[in-house]
Amino acid sequence: MKIVFYAHLHQPWRLARFRYLDLGSGRSYFDVERNLAIFRRIAEQCYRPAMGRLYESLERHPEFRFSLSITGTWIEQAREAAPDLIEQLRKLVGTGRVALLAETYYHSLAFLVPPPELEEEVALHGRLLQDTFGVKPAVLRMTELAYSDELARFGASHGYRGMLAEGWEGVLGGRSPTHRYTSSVATELSVLLRHYRLSDDVGFRFSSKAWSEYPLTSEKYARWIASTPGDLVGIFLDFETFGEHHPASTGILEFLSALPAAAARESNLGWATVEDALTSPSAGPFSAPVTLSWADQNRDLGAWLGNDLQRSAFEAAKKAGLLVRRTGDTQLLERWRKLLTSDHFYYMYLGGHGADLGVHQYFSSYGSPYDAYANYMNALTDLRDRALEELR
Amino acid sequence: MPERARTPAPARKRPAHRGRRPAKLARVERDRRKSRRTRLAELSEPLQWVRPAEAAAPAPTRAPPRRLHVLMVGWEFPPSHSGGLGVHSYELVRELSRMGHRVSFLLPYAGEYTQVPGVEILWPGAVRPRRAGAAAPGRRLGAYDRPLSPSDGFLESVGSFTEWVARFESEVPVDVVHVHDWFGTEGGSRLARRLRRPLVFTVHSTEYDRSLGHPWQEILEREQLGLRQADRVIAVSKHLKQQLVERYGARADRIKVIYNAVRAPERVARISPERPTVLYLGRLAAMKGVDTFLRAAAQVAPQLPDVLFVVAGEGPEYPRLLALAAHLGIADRTLFLGRVTDEERTSLLARADVFVLPSVVEPFGIAALEAMASGVPTILSKTSGVAEVAGHAFAVDFWDIDEYASRMAELLSYPALRHTMGDLGRIQALTTGWAERAFETVTVYFDAIAGHRAGSGR
Repeated sequence: MKIVFYAHLHQPWRLARFRYLDLGSGRSYFDVERNLAIFRRIAEQCYRPAMGRLYESLERHPEFRFSLSITGTWIEQAREAAPDLIEQLRKLVGTGRVALLAETYYHSLAFLVPPPELEEEVALHGRLLQDTFGVKPAVLRMTELAYSDELARFGASHGYRGMLAEGWEGVLGGRSPTHRYTSSVATELSVLLRHYRLSDDVGFRFSSKAWSEYPLTSEKYARWIASTPGDLVGIFLDFETFGEHHPASTGILEFLSALPAAAARESNLGWATVEDALTSPSAGPFSAPVTLSWADQNRDLGAWLGNDLQRSAFEAAKKAGLLVRRTGDTQLLERWRKLLTSDHFYYMYLGGHGADLGVHQYFSSYGSPYDAYANYMNALTDLRDRALEELR
Repeated sequence: MPERARTPAPARKRPAHRGRRPAKLARVERDRRKSRRTRLAELSEPLQWVRPAEAAAPAPTRAPPRRLHVLMVGWEFPPSHSGGLGVHSYELVRELSRMGHRVSFLLPYAGEYTQVPGVEILWPGAVRPRRAGAAAPGRRLGAYDRPLSPSDGFLESVGSFTEWVARFESEVPVDVVHVHDWFGTEGGSRLARRLRRPLVFTVHSTEYDRSLGHPWQEILEREQLGLRQADRVIAVSKHLKQQLVERYGARADRIKVIYNAVRAPERVARISPERPTVLYLGRLAAMKGVDTFLRAAAQVAPQLPDVLFVVAGEGPEYPRLLALAAHLGIADRTLFLGRVTDEERTSLLARADVFVLPSVVEPFGIAALEAMASGVPTILSKTSGVAEVAGHAFAVDFWDIDEYASRMAELLSYPALRHTMGDLGRIQALTTGWAERAFETVTVYFDAIAGHRAGSGR
């Protein structure tokens, strides 16, 4: 049994308060200083200590391997706010035991926008990884772990050998998420699945004192994984789990450090990057006719496009995109892409399951979903107006 | 507002623990209410979005098993009322009566009041209650539009009302005396002392707020008296409770926050007028911030040329506001409607696209909750009590004219925003009704009675 441990690094460009009265004023949509301040805080609490511990583990445990995905907006902010983190990441990647994943540059919903947006964003991200780390990933992940047969076709036709998806019962039909599958529409494309229960034990439940398994020790966790039947266990998490979602005081960083040693004590456990996992035997075809994601209890796109606010904002963004593309103005295009980042739509979430609501509010940078929507629409309207002006 | 005759609430089965201390009953009810609240919260999760600071809405419950006779001292009562106090009084006694409690309501002046079964309305000089014309009409006083100086006999008439209340003889034994706002505190507390019954004091607003910082000493003293003498105090918002603690030195542990509510409005088809409408509905008093409404309107007007701004209500600020609208160049875009009837109110709410509560000071703000209940997306002043319970609305700092303007324009420009906020705001406003608020009030009565008996109520 191999542990496929993968962590996701992302920060969005959050919007400044952009009032309706600011339309046409030339004010910036993005509050750069605020974003960088948030980044510095998270770097201090999470990125720096957790990366340090991961590097120590790589040095101490030659069998330890893992994977990272890093969005373009994260790298942009890191360059400004904490360039040492880029160096640290280079060191991690330099060990040859850390695989990077391909994805959209802007952590966007580009896969729902008319072509060629998705293709261009993935290519943009690929160039960024090549320039920054000298790496060309073999495995693709979509924003929020979105996966569908259509996306599998996209991945396969762009030369990727694997994609990640949520190991959700609804699509597995009684099969276990602990194997490699192959896409039912593109047999050359592997599908690696997230074991959501074991992942959420760390991601959501680790610091919950109300949880019957609290406190979660690395030994207990390694034992759970070792006793899970199968070839691969996908532990896919936000990198911010380690020090930000669960603060250092919860012992999460010690847990992270102790995990390789705990796994070593279980005779049947090993580690694999997403690329290593591609050689695991296939357990058959995997099909997802509708889009899956790793968010909320429905595992669909409801977290971003579930209500009228979100859908209308996204439709408006798509329309604005057509105009922006016609202008050929690269600055406008960049701004539009920053507005396509999925986080903006996530902030407009209005409700659903109780647990999900708490998660959304935790991540939101607004007082209310209405504030998020109005602010977003103002910025988008301003962008559209600028595009129209240029086209006139 | 004619009241349909209602059959009295059916007698409830007497629980086995009857005869024990009411405090225990209240506790039992409280616990039941808690578990019910949890269950309801689970059911209504999809609608639960609230500002993080806000607590879950209390759930409806059944009436406590003991019937009380409440002697209530008020100021105004429908159909003629000018503020939240009259609405609150009416809805509260209506629900209390429905729960099987008996209310005697003391008012300072004669009038043709809306009848509520089980509620006896009395005023000084009334030979028999509820017989029109039997009393010499008292002086008609508006709720908060008290005279500008104490010189014209206003306080004297309050004084004679006080004497009447203090000497009031009830034919039926009284369980609790409940006064609303300052004018009944002296009479009410003297009466409660004479009858050896607990005093409950509901604060709807304070003199500091009503006078915008220039309070009458006589009124302040009566407020302080009420806070000192009452066994339990009810405040209509957390903001108000905080003010009572900080400015009046009241004891926080004796104050319970019970918000106002709104009755489900009759279903009126939403009208989409040819011209989008932004509505202010309320008194034209300085504390209401109507000038902010107009200044914001002046910023929106050039951006959205069709929009109409409607100001409904009357009050001392009217001439100044009219001049301001002209000065701002929006006189042709602003309609001043003056006082509106209940029917006009309903029709205004059915055609409004945006409702604004721009108050500088607003202990609660029932009008905004009414607008939400009618499905009108609402912009609230952050200082208002209603902002504590209404998440499905915009909240704005009262001084931030640009923000009011932006919020108006945003609601007018983005239909999805208007519709979503309107629909969810309506559900939120109607989730907790007067029945729940009346139940919370009864819980306070039982607390007051228990505390009074135990001798720790003072």
